[in-house]
Amino acid sequence: MSKTETITLIDLLARAYTIEREAEYRYADLADQMEVHNNLELAGLFRKMSVIEGKHATQIKDRAEGQVLPHISPLASHWPGAEPPENIATEDMHYMMTPHHALKLALAGEQQAAIFYEEMSRIAADAPTRAFAEEMAIEEHEHVKMAEDLLAQYPEPEAGWDEDPDPPMLQE
Amino acid sequence: MAEIKTIEAPSPRDYKSEVKPVWCPGCGDFSVLGSITTALAELSLAPENVAVISGIGCSSRIPAYTNTYGFHGVHGRALALGTGLKVARPDLTVLVTGGDGDGFSIGGNHFLHACRRNINLTYIVMDNRVYGMTKGQPSPTTEPDWDSALAPGGTGLRPFHPLVIALASGANFVARSFSGDLAGSARMIVAAIEHPGFSFVEILSPCVTFRPDEREWKKMVHTASVEPTDDPSRAARRIMTDDGFNTGILYRGDRRPYEAVHGTGESVDPTALEAEFSL
Repeated sequence: MSKTETITLIDLLARAYTIEREAEYRYADLADQMEVHNNLELAGLFRKMSVIEGKHATQIKDRAEGQVLPHISPLASHWPGAEPPENIATEDMHYMMTPHHALKLALAGEQQAAIFYEEMSRIAADAPTRAFAEEMAIEEHEHVKMAEDLLAQYPEPEAGWDEDPDPPMLQE
Repeated sequence: MAEIKTIEAPSPRDYKSEVKPVWCPGCGDFSVLGSITTALAELSLAPENVAVISGIGCSSRIPAYTNTYGFHGVHGRALALGTGLKVARPDLTVLVTGGDGDGFSIGGNHFLHACRRNINLTYIVMDNRVYGMTKGQPSPTTEPDWDSALAPGGTGLRPFHPLVIALASGANFVARSFSGDLAGSARMIVAAIEHPGFSFVEILSPCVTFRPDEREWKKMVHTASVEPTDDPSRAARRIMTDDGFNTGILYRGDRRPYEAVHGTGESVDPTALEAEFSL
């Protein structure tokens, strides 16, 4: 992000919409993975997170108050990483993973989102844009706190949590 | 003036079917599916103008998971099917997908000739260096010393080098990506689709069940430090001397794609042909 870049409220709303919608889809995909492999606890957790992110996307769309939001691609160069900040990595999934692992991944996404909105606040073009960015940053920090509190309830499982004496066979 | 897209523009979700993938969680193929749907959304291609063709193997399930047209074909014959489709329907965007076993072993000969023909389609190979669906046999790209229950001590065989073969056989676009970089792979697929001729994209896609060691790939891949070249000899040197984890567009040629000749338009009487060939 260049030092001279600024962002308007409509562009920030559009980026926020892409972040939330992409996170909704990513969590839904992860819920599907866990459902297929009968890890129903994790499937439920990911599904719930998908619904929450979807609601956030709708709320952001409503904030645009009838204005047309431009399309921001998940491949856009606006993101601090390769993808929108709340998109959690899929390669760390395991069919025996526990809520602890899922919450750690979600926590990382929320932390990245908080940093993103703080940066947006810094480059906001005007006061309303800055106010929205700060509001979103506060919200993401609240999500970070929620994830941390939940993580305290789900401590890291002991080594060997992923050992399966009767591993599943891929469906043919 | 360019059309301004709104949030109603196609989303990757619009290209996914309702079928839930049965791959093992952690498998790189999930991300490759995401890269393909993201690329199609980026190009705003109408699903009915896209066909995803595959052979056999875990990764070859992809047509079922997309809502474009698709064909889950026979082992090693995905490129033959894709070639036929593209020749008959040049208006379609044809993606051929599969794995290293399907593409480079039983499908190896089709791979050579698809590169040579330079038909305007994109071939995406999810290379996990193992036959996953059949429980872990070494594939053509497996390292010679990979020790497993099914190949004790390793095969001792030199691995097939798909990028070199693609380049030598005439592919017009040669690239390597990593499934862990969903966005980077999507950008590469966009570039491959947009480039005329036969585009070959190898995506390193870990098999976390039979090759759990491949989870380490995310620490090993690195972006190519050089720009794509249109000089095949320079590309060959780069590919031959890299470590196999160099990602990026490695060759972008300018060879004219094959276009089918559809005859003179004059009707042919089949009985005359029969007569000509009769014994």
